[in-house]
Amino acid sequence: MQPKIKIAGLDFYYNGRPVLENICMEAFENTITAVTGPSGQGKSSLLIAVNRLWESIEGARVKGDIQIRFGQTFQNIYDPGFRVPELRKKVGMVFQMPNPLPMSIYKNIVFPLKLTGGHKKKDAAFRVETALKRSFLWEEVKDRLNEDARSLSGGQQQRLCIARALILNPEVLLLDEPTASLDDTSGRMIESLLLEVKKSCTLLLVSHYLDQVKRIADKGMRLSRGQITQAW
Amino acid sequence: MVSPFWDRAFRLFAWGCSLVLMGTFLIIIGFLCIKGYTALNLRLIFGDTGFWDAVVLRRQVFDGLFPAMAGTLCLILLSVVLAVPLGLSTGIFLAEYASPRVKWFFSFVFDILAGIPSIVVGLFGFSITLFLHQSFFDRLYPCLLISALSLAFLVLPYMIRTTQMALESLPASLRLTAPSLGATQLQSIVYVLLPAALSTILSGIILSIGRCAEDTAVIMLTGAVATAGIPRSVFSSFEALPFYIYYISSQYADHSELINGYGACLVLIFICMNLFVLSHFLKKRLSQKLLFRH
Repeated sequence: MQPKIKIAGLDFYYNGRPVLENICMEAFENTITAVTGPSGQGKSSLLIAVNRLWESIEGARVKGDIQIRFGQTFQNIYDPGFRVPELRKKVGMVFQMPNPLPMSIYKNIVFPLKLTGGHKKKDAAFRVETALKRSFLWEEVKDRLNEDARSLSGGQQQRLCIARALILNPEVLLLDEPTASLDDTSGRMIESLLLEVKKSCTLLLVSHYLDQVKRIADKGMRLSRGQITQAW
Repeated sequence: MVSPFWDRAFRLFAWGCSLVLMGTFLIIIGFLCIKGYTALNLRLIFGDTGFWDAVVLRRQVFDGLFPAMAGTLCLILLSVVLAVPLGLSTGIFLAEYASPRVKWFFSFVFDILAGIPSIVVGLFGFSITLFLHQSFFDRLYPCLLISALSLAFLVLPYMIRTTQMALESLPASLRLTAPSLGATQLQSIVYVLLPAALSTILSGIILSIGRCAEDTAVIMLTGAVATAGIPRSVFSSFEALPFYIYYISSQYADHSELINGYGACLVLIFICMNLFVLSHFLKKRLSQKLLFRH
């Protein structure tokens, strides 16, 4: 197994207050690396440091080094020349609360493609179908693609968000407690989905469910008071 | 804890207030209908000129509302076309790009501008026209363009603040979704935030249309006259329904002229109502097209 993400000396501050201190870790290709720990310890902050989403949050600040291997070479994502939109196309993210955009199911899935531009309508339709099939949602929504995505159930919405993140074939997928707002059945379905997805993608999963971490993660670490206190 | 008595009392009060307002509205409409319905006929609109002759501009209408209706529609259209791009862009700037200090200052200024009486805006428009006439363009007089610019200026603060608040009230999760998928700030605004706030923004534009249609003080100083015919260009003076109503109700020679004034009120309400219905239809179709069809 080759390392995919290398984090060294990462500090995260929110409104001047330290949230993460000197985080050093690695995540390996085609594995699920889980970060667990009590609420408010900086797990989500770690994720948004990896795709630089903290830059859209007022009061957040990051110091340190994060390298991700794209192709054969590691690139520091905080290099001044590194384009953030490009990073986020390669590093997808799924949030704790399902966050479908206020538009149709189809438009939600095709949205990342629209951002990249230059895709043909027929190709887009094929990729939407593939992404929905990968997230086990196609059979449930194939006849209602023009309906409001917000009319889906919580579990369906979360699978839609995963499908949306997968449509650009990201190399890394960040998951911020993706089953926390779902019932057991939907949660289990998402877990099976993640095990499928890891075959083609590196997953960094934040979860405070230890049993879930044991079930699906290849590597794990515990975050407490902004520091890694345990790794396995 | 609020006792059930106060809960019920407040609900009754709120219900009563709504009822009083609805009653007042119905009384006004009923009064205008009773007074003006006898005047409602083609003669009120086209006078002695035939319908087709007037509509295809073959003959001018001298004693009907047709030129005022055309003038009002041109005025609304021009004002909205001038105000919407400016209003939307400034609103977007304040909501999405401005630093907190700039945002506070601009919001403060626009709130003050929103409170300026329309007669002051009209006087300002008139003074600018005089200045331009004396200094640069001696053929420039009060006209449709000056009126539309003044009206656009009048509704701009409202449009800006509506756009700003519509964008700022969107949930934070929606704000992060598009960037997390690789959208630039501009893409996030164009593809996600504006469509999501479209309904509120268009409601602001619809209310601005109403303001443009009804304001008299601005246009009486900047270009509206009693008899001008259909405006031939944006540099012509023009007739407008609110000005006609003001003029006829303050200077009517006999009772039938006053009745015509009531008729003109009904025509103005009818035009506004149609514009609102059209705007709501567009709002629905646009939201549907932008967000749900592929």
